[in-house]
Amino acid sequence: MSRAFDARVDAALADRQLKIAVERTAGTAEAKRGVAIGAWPSFGAARERAAAIKDHVIANLGAYLVQFEAAATASGATVHWAQTADEACSIVVEICRKAGAKSVARSKSMLGEEIGLPHALEAAGIGRVETDLAEHIIQLAGERPSHIIWPAMHKTREQVSELFHARHREPHVEESIVAMAASARRQLRGEMLGADVGISGANFLIADSGQVCTVTNEGNAELSLVPPRVHIVTAGIEKLVPSMDHAVHLLRLLARSATGAALTQYTTFYAGPKRAGDHDGPEEMHIVLVDNGRSAMRDDGLAEMLRCIRCGACMNHCVVFRQIGGHAYGGTYPGPMGSVLTPALDGLAANRDLPNACTMNGKCQEVCPVAIPLPTLLRGWREKSWREGLEPVTLRSGLGLWAWAARRPWLYRAGVRWAIRAMRLAGRGWIAKLPFAGGWTGGRDFPAPAAESFMDRYRKGER
Amino acid sequence: MSARDAILARLGPVRDPAVLAAEAAALLAGEERERPAGGEDLVARFLAQLGQPSVAATHARIGSLAELPGAVSGYLAAEGAEPALWLPPDARVAGLDWSGLTRLADCPIDDGAVLAFARAGVAETGSLVFETSPEAPMLPNFLALRHIVVLEVAGLVRWLEDAAPGGAVPRAHYWVTGVSGTTDIEGTYVRGAHGPRFLHVVLVG
Repeated sequence: MSRAFDARVDAALADRQLKIAVERTAGTAEAKRGVAIGAWPSFGAARERAAAIKDHVIANLGAYLVQFEAAATASGATVHWAQTADEACSIVVEICRKAGAKSVARSKSMLGEEIGLPHALEAAGIGRVETDLAEHIIQLAGERPSHIIWPAMHKTREQVSELFHARHREPHVEESIVAMAASARRQLRGEMLGADVGISGANFLIADSGQVCTVTNEGNAELSLVPPRVHIVTAGIEKLVPSMDHAVHLLRLLARSATGAALTQYTTFYAGPKRAGDHDGPEEMHIVLVDNGRSAMRDDGLAEMLRCIRCGACMNHCVVFRQIGGHAYGGTYPGPMGSVLTPALDGLAANRDLPNACTMNGKCQEVCPVAIPLPTLLRGWREKSWREGLEPVTLRSGLGLWAWAARRPWLYRAGVRWAIRAMRLAGRGWIAKLPFAGGWTGGRDFPAPAAESFMDRYRKGER
Repeated sequence: MSARDAILARLGPVRDPAVLAAEAAALLAGEERERPAGGEDLVARFLAQLGQPSVAATHARIGSLAELPGAVSGYLAAEGAEPALWLPPDARVAGLDWSGLTRLADCPIDDGAVLAFARAGVAETGSLVFETSPEAPMLPNFLALRHIVVLEVAGLVRWLEDAAPGGAVPRAHYWVTGVSGTTDIEGTYVRGAHGPRFLHVVLVG
């Protein structure tokens, strides 16, 4: 494993606060999803249909993009295209500059994080206010999101309270989560209503109508996108669906998988700027369609990953994520979906640890609302990493040695007998410290082996 | 080559739109839907969904619009709230007697009550369906503390798909399914994050 990943994982495993915070939110999410899916007996068939809808769109992405562009343009929106993250950020910054924007209100968007939009706005000297409560928390803390639905999952209520006391104009008095949310409401209201530009992502782009769909529970998207003069949408090209009815099917799966609700509180479909006689709404609407590696992913064996609707269920149910939280993954997207996406977005050489940091228990695929074969895709990255010689020499020669011994059963069995004896010298029951296995015993104990190997007991007639 | 042309070139040839549309429509045939609580009766199902913890709306039922001001006064009094509200520039409110209530000239931005007319209600989820127009501003429905929504029983539909706008695509078409809420701190649900903390539906008919 690379040192950077190793160090992040070690730090995460040693952080007791982190474990408490992740367990509180992910545990609640897992339980609520379980109830919602349990009440929907045809969930299995519904997710196969959702996968088929997304596969159909991904296979015909060019046609749907052209259709969406024509419909969105007809509604009065301006459509932009960006091949890379940098191109997308430049387009957004340029629109802000033309509008003379001093401040932007941003409604949580993982694509915005992926393309580095917060940093690009800062570099351009444009003030940014994050309006989603969790994004507000991490903006104050100067941190990155650790989860795609709950970006501040790594924070305990005590840590949030401390942050608000230090940074809010009128912080909460009573130490409760209700009072903390009210403090954020007071702090953000004026900033949202006074912003020059509102920036959002999109949960779905509706091809036949040109509508952009956002979903939130807080209502912060609408408060960020309706008052400003300009609304900018940045969306990955895989967000397309043929029609609103297709979006409805996916929305049913998205809310249940993410929060366990039948639907998010606010689901809005925007089509173009303010019209004649309207009392509110932006004067301009811009939609930036971002590729950033997606068309290449489709052709490089990762088409199934483009089904992802960003519900976060895979990470909530991942035993690795639950231990180390989101930051240890090092990319924009954590958990199982992040371990598939990050090598594609940021390169395999620097991220080959991610597909290896997986137990292959299959839980992520089981809960995925669009049935992405995540373990298979992760295994694909492992194989590619091996083929391209990215695995370290110690691992390659170690596996070579094992393979050599495994082809000589007498030698292999002698080795096992020797290893059992050596390990039983180190301890009985659980071994706290084991030579050559510090990476394991540094974080947890190792189970001591039985007195004899399976093969030896089998030979003695224990069957 | 423009970014647009480069992306489209990578995505390959575009197929016949008519064939694609037929394939896309076939993907929705016989869709699986959860059977919501409340049986087959649309009103009962809708009201059952309004009462779900994730929606958390209250409701009243009146026979005709003439009873609306009285129903609103009654709701605000029962809640211990000021007898004041902001009304939308909708012809339907003009002919009613609002004498018992103060009509606010500006929409309150962090407290108070606003009234809005929903075009449809969805029994499946308890959602209220709105569209922007000169008679229906959007922002007030997200600013006030109390969101009072008027819905004709005739506007109730069974599924979310049935609530789609029929004619031209409106600037904003939006569904409100409960009060503003957040679970961003430790996954604990708090109502009234940025939008309304209370949602009250007045069903007419």
